[in-house]
Amino acid sequence: MNLFRSEEHIERWLDGREPGATIPVTTLAALAVAWWHDRLSPAWRPHTREQNQAILDGLGLTGAFWELA
Amino acid sequence: MEAADLALRKLTYGLFVELGRAPTLAEVAEHGASTAAEVGAGWARLHDQHAIVLDDDGERLRMANPFSAVATPYRVEADGRSWYANCAWDAFGICAALHVDGRFETRCPDCGEPLEIEVRDGRPSDESLLFHCLVPAGRWWADIAFT
Repeated sequence: MNLFRSEEHIERWLDGREPGATIPVTTLAALAVAWWHDRLSPAWRPHTREQNQAILDGLGLTGAFWELA
Repeated sequence: MEAADLALRKLTYGLFVELGRAPTLAEVAEHGASTAAEVGAGWARLHDQHAIVLDDDGERLRMANPFSAVATPYRVEADGRSWYANCAWDAFGICAALHVDGRFETRCPDCGEPLEIEVRDGRPSDESLLFHCLVPAGRWWADIAFT
């Protein structure tokens, strides 16, 4: 789960491996806020799979690649 | 999750934030007025529930996501302190969890060029970068350290 300069850099880094998913860093930042904002809250409880999937869905991260176990 | 495990998790995370590194089993036991054996058993239950990640020996923290217990290419500075994050997602996650602005430096894994990212109100200063996730979501926890 890394940051890259461009698609060209990602392709070169993959070096023939099966690619995963590429998203803008702005989407990643929004995902981080939604996913981690409550991590240190005294009221924290484990997220359910459904809660986490809803976070991904809400950011347009849908399809088989983003389907949680 | 049982109340005792929630309390142990809260204590563990609190010490991680305070110390800027992973607390040891003995440190958590001391601060929680419990025994190392009790903390170890509690950590094992939290590990099984994906609330923390232990090393292979089961006695040391590997992750308290988004914080990393080991050095990584993602060192986050925020609120006058610093921590290692497990990945780019978690680097933003540390700022989100602390509810503060911050910054981190890393390198493009392809060319090695330094990347400096400021995080302000949850947004990155350089919006041109791309994030690549290699492992499908359904397999993230199959090998969370690799993910």
